[in-house]
Amino acid sequence: MSLDKTLLSMDELLKLPREKHFITGAQAMSEAVKRSSTDMAIAYPITPQSEVMHLVGDIFAQGHIKEYYRAEEELGTMSAIAGAARGGVRMFTATSGPGLLRGLEAIVSWPGHRIPCVLGVLTRVINAPLSIQPDNLEMAYLMHSGIVMLHAENQQDTFDFTLAAFAITEKVDVYIPVSVSTEGFFVTHAKGYVEMMDEKYAFEECDPYKAPVPAMDNEVPPARIQRDAPVQKSNFMSYLIHSVWQQEIWDSNQRAMKYMYQYIDGPIEVQNPGSDVMLVASGCAAAQAREAHRYAQEEGLSVGFVKVKCIRPWPTDEIREALKTAKTVIVPEHNIVGWLCKEIKGCIPNGGIVLEGPRVYGGMTLPVELIMTEIYNALGMDSLVLQA
Amino acid sequence: MQKKIDVGPVGYMPQSAPMMGVELSPEGKALLYGNVVSEDEAMRDAAKALLTMQNPTIFPGPMVLWDWKDDVADKSAAILELASEIPNCKIIPMPDYRPKYPKIDVKAEINPNHPNLTILDNKIKACVFIGVHCHYANLTLRMIRAGTDCYTVAMCAEMGHEEAMASIRDVHASDVLKFRDILVEVRKELGIEHTATMPPENPSLPKEDWGDLTPADYGEYRSLIMSRKGEHVAEVE
Amino acid sequence: MSLRYMVPASKFKRYLPKDYVELVDYGPFGKDYSEVGVKNMGTFKELVEEHPMCSGCWMAYYIKIIFAALPNPENTVTIGTAGCGRLAISQAAVPFIYGNYGDQNAMASGITRAFRLRFPDIQKDVITIAGDGGMMDIGFSMTMHAWFRRERFTTIMLDNEVYGNTGGQESGMSIEGAVLKMSPKGKNFGKMPAMQLAITAGCVYVVKMSPTNINKAAKAIRRAIFAARKLGPTFIHVYTSCNIEYSIPTPDVFRDAKEMEKGRFAFEEFMTPEAKELFAVVESKKKREVS
Repeated sequence: MSLDKTLLSMDELLKLPREKHFITGAQAMSEAVKRSSTDMAIAYPITPQSEVMHLVGDIFAQGHIKEYYRAEEELGTMSAIAGAARGGVRMFTATSGPGLLRGLEAIVSWPGHRIPCVLGVLTRVINAPLSIQPDNLEMAYLMHSGIVMLHAENQQDTFDFTLAAFAITEKVDVYIPVSVSTEGFFVTHAKGYVEMMDEKYAFEECDPYKAPVPAMDNEVPPARIQRDAPVQKSNFMSYLIHSVWQQEIWDSNQRAMKYMYQYIDGPIEVQNPGSDVMLVASGCAAAQAREAHRYAQEEGLSVGFVKVKCIRPWPTDEIREALKTAKTVIVPEHNIVGWLCKEIKGCIPNGGIVLEGPRVYGGMTLPVELIMTEIYNALGMDSLVLQA
Repeated sequence: MQKKIDVGPVGYMPQSAPMMGVELSPEGKALLYGNVVSEDEAMRDAAKALLTMQNPTIFPGPMVLWDWKDDVADKSAAILELASEIPNCKIIPMPDYRPKYPKIDVKAEINPNHPNLTILDNKIKACVFIGVHCHYANLTLRMIRAGTDCYTVAMCAEMGHEEAMASIRDVHASDVLKFRDILVEVRKELGIEHTATMPPENPSLPKEDWGDLTPADYGEYRSLIMSRKGEHVAEVE
Repeated sequence: MSLRYMVPASKFKRYLPKDYVELVDYGPFGKDYSEVGVKNMGTFKELVEEHPMCSGCWMAYYIKIIFAALPNPENTVTIGTAGCGRLAISQAAVPFIYGNYGDQNAMASGITRAFRLRFPDIQKDVITIAGDGGMMDIGFSMTMHAWFRRERFTTIMLDNEVYGNTGGQESGMSIEGAVLKMSPKGKNFGKMPAMQLAITAGCVYVVKMSPTNINKAAKAIRRAIFAARKLGPTFIHVYTSCNIEYSIPTPDVFRDAKEMEKGRFAFEEFMTPEAKELFAVVESKKKREVS
């Protein structure tokens, strides 16, 4: 690195004193990249992500990262990342909605190829008709890919999760990509307070030999190496290797859980456990649910709040514990399918207590009142009267 | 001790050890049957397995087979010292991770894509993996647990392996030598007499004898070597 | 340091299988091209030996030439994609990356840049080897854009004018009128002009050939690698028939290649003035001095 930086372990970096800044989510993500000793970033424009990779381009020009280019499109971007990461360098890129889906063939192959990298997902509508507005449906497509998924509520989370992601992705027992999602525009283009350590400190550099697979760099044995075996013969042996390979990806995903405790203070945040009504949300919806929770506290209602920071690995035990005495669970979301709601329903023994919604999509904002209405209904109160 | 995982065969499509709740041991500790124990305890159990079960074998992987790093010399020497203290021990390397065409020689090597072939063919009931990259070690250990009755020991330079019966982490040459010392101690306790002997060299190494090869040996491909009528081909590449 | 990763630890040499020991003792690593080049094939341990390609496969033959022609096999990475070729390429004793469909030139863009960051003083050659479908159809955008970006690696297209591995479908490189699967009434447009596309996109050295002469084929491969190190992208478009899908009897495979050499695969070589200058220097020196 051309700039004179002090390189630290992630634990040391996170302990440093911080200063408060008022910046956008896009800035928060690029500020995290600035402190990550990323070797190379590959950019391709799509709204609302572009802002992030513009800023990453700027920090490249300033010398914080060593290599940067604009690729031909997302499949080219994601493929080049897979090539470069195999060459033993630390990689970053970011995308949004349709761009994520265009790159998806490569992205879903990253875990199986054991590609460590950090992927920013600044969410956007993916379905026709075209829209650039926030909606996090695209995250549903990542949930079964094996990739580790963090979901940031605000600008501070975006900074913290992105920085932590660089440490998690290269852990020898993980070594699969980590995505950091947050809502487009609502977070990327809005300012919030972010506490950051001084930029003269950065995460220690990538060590491609501390890895569960050999780097493809002609420096590590074996010579006859092909990291990703084409096991295309039609016999039991080839099915078996593929099945244990898939298990290994999900095991690696699961092993990332301990690092959630180490670096992002656990996979979930819980307030007022044991309440009758529990609000469970992730990303931007968690900010609104947090606000609804505050209203409910003011009104003296038995309402608790769970923020899910980590979508993969899914915090089954933690969610079960947090919801064990709940009578109703409300899951506000920014998508039409309710992927978070389905996950929660599937992981607790009494899934029937989980309400469908409230959900907004297509760029609609999520008013706190929408959540309050569900709370009143759940508590058997007449919401219309109360709101009036 | 409750064995969270045990010697196989566990069956057709086993759950992975991490999915069964086995977690990697913290620094300074080891795993034994999926439980966190002291390194000595794991080493003692592993030593006992290597001394009492049939055809004990050490499987060195690429990271100790090739001289790519300065610590390889010490580590490979230590591994051979360990092997020499185990009666009847064989060394079968894992020199490669890719599936090999047309097939591997199960007497000469083990491959992570179908490790059970080597284990079953050689009737190996206890083995040690060392110097294999973690991803391939996990695949290998899981397949062995699935389809064979072999006791597996993982000596890992990194964080260890949930799938192995005994998993030692952060292994350097000195740890291999420590394991040797414990093994010698256990051997004495068991009353097994043994003088240090080097394992036999790779069985593929002796030169093959092509002296009496004839076109008939090529079967349906004999036309490819284009021998003339009546000609006896004595030397063939 | 590179050679170290293929030298067995002295203690373990006698425990390695024979073919790995021979690869080091009799293979081409670190040796002079005049001893272990295509001219000497059969006298040293080659990087690719057994492979599962069909009997009489002209592509398998050409792949053996590629590996025998490498100027620096101990510092080379090959990248391929789905298709017959990778069945043989993956058996070579050179690191091989098999990614997703048609992504070879995008991956090569990433890895060459990574190598330049990590090893500014070591030349590591990156070669993408894929079929006509992988290069000109599904990977077209990534192939072309890597060239436009002037990425410094070699692209080799093994053109058998058909999707061989998936069972004989029409490709962009099939000839007009060819009756193949997915063109049951005959293909209704001609071969894509790959060579012209490469020149237009900025390749500094481009060859089209039917490799009937191994020395000529090897020379083109080596020139492409040398030029890619210093100047920019290079491209070899080579005819490697599919004797199965085009029903060429095994004994006639070579005759077919000869006929192609007189027809649409007549030898054509393009080089920029800078490349010409470079070859004049490189070819007057011994191999080791330039690699």
